[in-house]
Amino acid sequence: MSNANLPTQGGATALAERGASRQYLTFTLGGELFAMPIEQIREIIEFGGMTEIPLMPGFLRGVINMRGAVVPVIDLAVRFGRERTEIARRTCIVIIELEQEGQMLLLGVLVDAVNEVLTVEPGQVEPRPAFGARIRAEFIEGMINLDQRFVIALDIRLVLSVDELATLIGMAAETGATAGE
Amino acid sequence: MARDALVQEARELLAAMENALLEIEAEGASPDAINAIFRAAHTIKGSAGLFAFDRIVGFTHIVESVLDRVRNGTQPLDEPLMALLLECSDYIAALVDAIEARREDIEPDPERRARLEDALNALLGAGAAPKAPVAVATAAPEAAGQVEVEGGESVSSDNWHLSLRFSPDVLRHGMDPMSFLRYLGTLGRIVHIVTLPDAMPPAEEFDAESCYLGFEIDFASEVDRQTIEGVFEFVREDSDIRILPPHGKVAEYISLIGALPEPAGRLGEILVKGGALTQAELEQVLAHQAAEPVPAKPIGTLLVEREVVPQAVVAAALTKQKQGEEKRAQEQKFIKVEVNKLDALIDLVGELVIAGAATNLLARKQKDPQFEEVSQALSTLVEQIRDAALTLRMVPIGEVFQRFPRVVRDISRELGKEIQLVVTGADTELDKSMVEKLSDPLMHIVRNAMDHGIESTAARVDAGKPAGGTLRLNAYHESGSIVIEVSDDGKGLDRERILKKGIERGLVQPDQVLSDSEVFRLIFEAGFSTAETVTNLSGRGVGMDVVRKNIEALRGEVEILSRAGQGTTVRIRLPLTLAIIDGFQVMVGESTFVIPLELVVECIDVGGHDTRHNIVKLRGEPLPFVRLRELFDLPPATGVRESLVVVQYGQHRAGVVVDRLMGEFQAVIKPLGLLFNQVRGISGSTILGDGRVALILDVPNLVQRASRAQAALAWQGQATSMPEQTGGNS
Repeated sequence: MSNANLPTQGGATALAERGASRQYLTFTLGGELFAMPIEQIREIIEFGGMTEIPLMPGFLRGVINMRGAVVPVIDLAVRFGRERTEIARRTCIVIIELEQEGQMLLLGVLVDAVNEVLTVEPGQVEPRPAFGARIRAEFIEGMINLDQRFVIALDIRLVLSVDELATLIGMAAETGATAGE
Repeated sequence: MARDALVQEARELLAAMENALLEIEAEGASPDAINAIFRAAHTIKGSAGLFAFDRIVGFTHIVESVLDRVRNGTQPLDEPLMALLLECSDYIAALVDAIEARREDIEPDPERRARLEDALNALLGAGAAPKAPVAVATAAPEAAGQVEVEGGESVSSDNWHLSLRFSPDVLRHGMDPMSFLRYLGTLGRIVHIVTLPDAMPPAEEFDAESCYLGFEIDFASEVDRQTIEGVFEFVREDSDIRILPPHGKVAEYISLIGALPEPAGRLGEILVKGGALTQAELEQVLAHQAAEPVPAKPIGTLLVEREVVPQAVVAAALTKQKQGEEKRAQEQKFIKVEVNKLDALIDLVGELVIAGAATNLLARKQKDPQFEEVSQALSTLVEQIRDAALTLRMVPIGEVFQRFPRVVRDISRELGKEIQLVVTGADTELDKSMVEKLSDPLMHIVRNAMDHGIESTAARVDAGKPAGGTLRLNAYHESGSIVIEVSDDGKGLDRERILKKGIERGLVQPDQVLSDSEVFRLIFEAGFSTAETVTNLSGRGVGMDVVRKNIEALRGEVEILSRAGQGTTVRIRLPLTLAIIDGFQVMVGESTFVIPLELVVECIDVGGHDTRHNIVKLRGEPLPFVRLRELFDLPPATGVRESLVVVQYGQHRAGVVVDRLMGEFQAVIKPLGLLFNQVRGISGSTILGDGRVALILDVPNLVQRASRAQAALAWQGQATSMPEQTGGNS
């Protein structure tokens, strides 16, 4: 599992330099198609309930039990500043493995549906646009050119930056705590 | 013995050596302490020798030689030597570290080694001139006077007779027979000594590393048999040591002569010459022997006889032997296990507990009595296995405390303060995984107390206090927690200055009213330091916040009690275990929460109680409480009959209002991880029997909130007449 992470260091630059094809998982989120490199993906599970944690910011939907490990679940749509993801028949949780301070950390990402795994040639990836995207530019690793349309390839390390998420959670917990008193 | 075992053993021995040195420093030299130091150095050398770790062998050998002189009284154990020995033990520790890191071929610090060796060798050179032996100890001579002579006639000699046949390997084991004799000389007077070179082989077979010598000694002394036996403690196992008391029985001499390898006539001569036997007595012995010839007995029978003789002779010796056996038996009760294996076991037990809970749930749903019975039996077993597995990881906190005598000694010298360390409750047990993480925070608190807490000697005298300060380390168990206290009898925290600083830094509003403990809590804020001088030790404003973080990461809590002029106590409270707890399950709406059962006092029905201001009267006492629904902003519910769970943490009680009580179950604690480090009110999570995740309530935090709200209310109550309903977040 952990060795699967190795090739992703450096994100877009590595992608451009390596000149080898790369695999992406595409998924839908609020009706829009996104992609993320498969290296950090550990597995994809069907949504089967979760435990909410009080006083959390909206993007943190709760925690699930994955074979004895407690895994936080992030709502990507909320993280991108959109409406929260409604749970439906095809709702999935993509389990992602990140390394943080030397420890392996599992995070779940809530998506509307997963589509397919694409093999993308280096030539198909274009640099991210300076403006015009509807999500924070730094979250975008590049734009994958698929015939007639572009798919945003996410830089999942930045999207799920543990430091940033923890800070947001801490802030929410603080205000929640004072409100509670 | 694996390398790791060697490293661990060496560290334990070094700790023992350090303790003995510090004991000597505090209470003066005692033969026991000196022996303990010698034994530690000797055993380290021996074990390292097995692995051919020559660097450590070479170094400890010199240390041991010096210690040997201390033991036999030719080298006084003065202050500079104490300091040197402590430094040597540090250096041995560095050598041990190198072994652990598999870098034993590299000298950690050749310069330091050379310096230490020079200092040691200087002592060895200087001490070579014979000095009048100093009696190290004169144990009560009662046993000598009370020798019970049983059967047979006694000989007339007033002296002990010692027959020593050293094992050929004694030199290879790093012992010098001469050092034993020198040490013996400190306990009394060697009246007569004959060296027996009989075992010496022809020159061509001579091995320079073997010992071939035996000794017959007549010894005048008031000490008891135990003390004399103690001299030969290190060689007793493989050498042949026989000790006959003054006025021993003739029969003992008969068996002695029979048992020794040399010809009887020659031994007889020696005994007569030394005064152990008179000529007449010798003739009696030899006559006996002729009548009842004792052929060379197999060694086994000899040993048996040797065991029999002291039994008849000295009861004291028997007791000593018995003690030794008991000690050995106790040692055998321990086996060393790798921590990883234990952790893996605990993880598995955790999974077992979850699986057991799932089975139980299923059994209850199926309503099959047989199934339920079986699953109940299984649960009981699982519970026992869990408890047994968890106790495997419990170790006495003494493991953490044992490094502090040295720390306190060194720092008090550095600071020029006289500080005494008092350790109590070292037997109190806690989870091994906490021991490692506790060490640094404790070190910090201790340093702080010594640096800032305890005043300089002059200031103490001015304040009418004893010149020497006292630092206490204490540990005890209290309602499911372990409490560790570091107290000093110094000047206490300066409440005003901390408050002023807190206001300056914007941590406190100028008009805010804070309790003492709230003010003291400020020193745990990041970058908060009131130290006037920045010393080498502390006062740089890093530290106390790290201490708090470390303790909180262990699900613990730090509290400060302080009285101006009288001292400060830092109290750390930690849960007993980090792995599995008995939980009490409660529900609010659809959410399940778990409260550690050990912290639950009782449950009461809220209906009918006056719950204004989030305070309920319980048996006449006001009890502050929190409503989980409000605290966690959960959807409101109507028509539920709320229950109140009374929890206690330390000295404080509070209530937690919930919708439903679900009962006890075993909870395997799953940390929530990095993302939730700053979340308050929830300390972790666990997995329920049906696979859902439930959150574990952070009771200390809830209690603190409830009390704080109560305090604020009381203050408001003084300011205005009666406040409005508090506690809602409407």
